[in-house]
Amino acid sequence: MVLCLLALPVFALLSIFSIKYKKLTADAIECLFKTIQLRKCESGLDDRMRADFTGRAMNLSPKFAQFFYNHYKIISWIILIIFIWSFFTSTIGIYNYIQYGNCNGPESNEFCVFDPTGQNNGITEAELDTHKTLTSPGVQENRTNIGNSDAELTIIEFGCYSCPFTKKAQPIIEEVLAYYEGRVNLQYRTFVLPSHLNSLESALAAACADEQGKFETYHNRLFDLQLDPSITFTSIAEELELDIPAFEHCMEEQRYKEQVDEDTLAAIYAGVEGTPTFFINDQAIVGPKPFKTFQTVIDGELQ
Amino acid sequence: MIFSFKPEKYRKDFPLLNQNLIYFDNACMSLKPQQVLDKMYEYYTRYTACGGRSSHTLAKEVEAEVAKTRLTVKSFIHAKKEEECVFTRNTTEGINLVANSFGLQKGDEVIISDKEHNSNLIPWLKMQKEKGIKLHITESNLDNTFSLEAFESTFTKNTKLVSVVHVSNMDGVANPIKEIAKITHEHNAALLVDGAQSVPSTEVNVQKLDVDFFSFSGHKMLGPTGTGVLYGKKERLEQLSQFIVGGETVLDATYDSYLPEKIPHRFEAGLQDYAGIIGLSEACKYLENVGMNNIEKHEIKLNKLVTERLAKHVKILGPQNAEKRNSIFSFTVPGKDIHHISGILNSSKNIMIRSGAHCVHSWFNKHNMKGSARASMYFYNTEEEANIFCDAVEKIVKI
Repeated sequence: MVLCLLALPVFALLSIFSIKYKKLTADAIECLFKTIQLRKCESGLDDRMRADFTGRAMNLSPKFAQFFYNHYKIISWIILIIFIWSFFTSTIGIYNYIQYGNCNGPESNEFCVFDPTGQNNGITEAELDTHKTLTSPGVQENRTNIGNSDAELTIIEFGCYSCPFTKKAQPIIEEVLAYYEGRVNLQYRTFVLPSHLNSLESALAAACADEQGKFETYHNRLFDLQLDPSITFTSIAEELELDIPAFEHCMEEQRYKEQVDEDTLAAIYAGVEGTPTFFINDQAIVGPKPFKTFQTVIDGELQ
Repeated sequence: MIFSFKPEKYRKDFPLLNQNLIYFDNACMSLKPQQVLDKMYEYYTRYTACGGRSSHTLAKEVEAEVAKTRLTVKSFIHAKKEEECVFTRNTTEGINLVANSFGLQKGDEVIISDKEHNSNLIPWLKMQKEKGIKLHITESNLDNTFSLEAFESTFTKNTKLVSVVHVSNMDGVANPIKEIAKITHEHNAALLVDGAQSVPSTEVNVQKLDVDFFSFSGHKMLGPTGTGVLYGKKERLEQLSQFIVGGETVLDATYDSYLPEKIPHRFEAGLQDYAGIIGLSEACKYLENVGMNNIEKHEIKLNKLVTERLAKHVKILGPQNAEKRNSIFSFTVPGKDIHHISGILNSSKNIMIRSGAHCVHSWFNKHNMKGSARASMYFYNTEEEANIFCDAVEKIVKI
């Protein structure tokens, strides 16, 4: 019976493509119903499968064949339990992938079979090995947020201006802010990654631009020009018509170093292992997940 | 004299034997040599037409080929006249033809053995239910051989027909048809024999056996599926009423009546399976070329080999002596399901045997058995194959 139960979904699926599996599907159904009625399967499908497996096993190892033949009921039950467990976890994985772009949920950037290239899961690892549970650090009151300052919901992003994955998330976040115009804003905070060139400096530059009321535009330009080697922080400031002496002075004295260090420390305490990592209230999203993932979480939080 | 039959000489003629398989289900269906397939192909490519109706060149060629086949079959079973051979679809149809056309009335009695295939049981049960005939079952000896004493004691003055199997498909035991015929005729009854298993493997001489009717199939004797022959003594066939009627079974018809055809055509209703019939002719020729005595001896040689190796491991149905079981090695393994045995042989070594009741449900039900595993060998099987089969069964016994 157990093998019939296992075979039923497989044969039913295959019968869509080949008529030879229709009979096997019917046999499996008959076997299942007879078993429910505590009667013996007449189709003999269970016996056929038992014999078939035993015969194949006999060519590999007579002892293994003997073991399988004599313990097939227990083996069948184990396989059935694994099958159900696998089906259950696969279903969750598929649900997570559809909802959050990763089989393991929004907080994970682990390998996902439906996203083998890691399009939705890439982060730049901080190599801290904290393995802490992601916990929102809360919104900082004294920061300039992107978007409506009176928004109902704030997305906290821990990113790095030199990180390609944070750059990848940038248009997604822009789409999110546009979609929830006025209701959601973004608090961007830098998680300084020593492995990235100018990680600290770019964060300081954005903070210095903020001092002159140009945080959002400077922030966007840093991502736009991330891979351009000819660009300097000052040249961006010039492009945005900032007060250059004031900007350079701010940079020289590293006026916002303490703030950036605070943000990095906050990220570590929050369990962030890489950039970008987002917090929407208590829910975390790791990596440049698709728009749909943010939408699912935000809609849940806005309700 | 040493028997030196070489199956290898013939194996190349069988396309399926080029594959990596061991075919031991010959009691159910024999493989087909290329010659039979070519002959059937010839019909479909050179003279595809109706026989016995049209008068054009192709139709005449079909008629000639069918007539040649009837002559070949007549010679193959040593019938007296070719018109004594009626083409049917299979053994079952031949038996049904006799059952329905013999003219049995309420109270008439029919004797069959206790080891009959459903083909030679169900038609009589149906007649018993619908016509009110009485069916007697004659019991076999303890070793499954035919008991002439029990048989003779079954006769009454109302016995009109005896219908028994020649060689049992269940255990391979051959019934003493000559003696059965003698006793039957002494009681003024007629004898119908199910020759499905005997014709492929033994020399059958219907005149020497003195049977009244003899039905067999083409598919077990290298011939195409859907072909068979009912032999009947001329005077017996002429006494039969028609069974299935229609095209080709009448010489003339009005809106009120019809004039039946002569035998055998009056029993061959509708368009015949010409390709199959012509292919059957080639099968008979092939078997004659191999030699029926060679076939029988080789089968028994293989059965002896298998019996000697496996007798101590398995329970054999029928006599222990392989010579009394022809090509059939029917067995069970204590503690093992018969379908598991055939399934494991199939999946482990590609050995094809049959498991189940072999359409002899009545016998197995009576003996409270599920069935048996049955290996049935033919002349193209080799000793090497028999040894591989034995090795595999020995392994199965141990698991």
